[in-house]
Amino acid sequence: MEKQNNFLTKDNIVLNLDAKSREDAIAQLSEVLYKNGIITDADKFTRDVLKRESMTTTGIGKHIAIPHGKSTAIKVPSMVFAKNKTPLKWNSLDGSKVTMIFLMAVSTNNGDKEHLKMLAHLSGKLMDDSFVSKLNKANKTKDILNLLED
Amino acid sequence: MTKIVAITACIAGIAHTYMAAANLKKYAKKEGDEIKVETQGAMGIENKLSSQDIEDADVVIFAVDTSVSGKERFVGKKVLKIGTSEVIKDGDSAIKKAEDLVNGKKQ
Repeated sequence: MEKQNNFLTKDNIVLNLDAKSREDAIAQLSEVLYKNGIITDADKFTRDVLKRESMTTTGIGKHIAIPHGKSTAIKVPSMVFAKNKTPLKWNSLDGSKVTMIFLMAVSTNNGDKEHLKMLAHLSGKLMDDSFVSKLNKANKTKDILNLLED
Repeated sequence: MTKIVAITACIAGIAHTYMAAANLKKYAKKEGDEIKVETQGAMGIENKLSSQDIEDADVVIFAVDTSVSGKERFVGKKVLKIGTSEVIKDGDSAIKKAEDLVNGKKQ
């Protein structure tokens, strides 16, 4: 599907992220979204995401976190996936530390439905244990992209 | 077999709505229950429950962190209200609580 190829490329994947905390990870990945041309203001987006994070944790368990924000700073809905070098504290639902992070960015004025649909589809897949286990084992950008686009 | 209808909705409407929906379906299937899930997220209302779906249901699950749109459709039904995080953390208990509600067991 062409749409999906546009949605996720190697620019959306960060291996070996070296964040030291939840805040650091969100800030670093916001920079990536900024470089990818998804958001216009990385600092503002970081604040929006942390505000959302303060309402309920996005550490959904199994070492995964899905911080996300709605922001006027977003041009096109998108995401970046990262694997962090060291496990991060994230107040996860199951108490696990986080190594896999999906930072999702959605526009406040409801943007592209196709991309929202993919974020929704991806969120649903995170409930599938075999998908999560494959994602955990994958350590090449290409393998991760294949999994996410499946 | 229990017939379940559910609504999922979260604050941003991006992720939890859809994770909760997926987990409810996963565990309902494991229990051999029938389930239909309406999502109220950033894409608006999807898989909207019909009045027949609601009438036929033994129990309703509101897996929501926000208000339910069209709540009046469920007047008179047995409703389990639960947060999306609880459903994501433990979908199995959510389904079992709904079954217990049908069977009149104390929560």
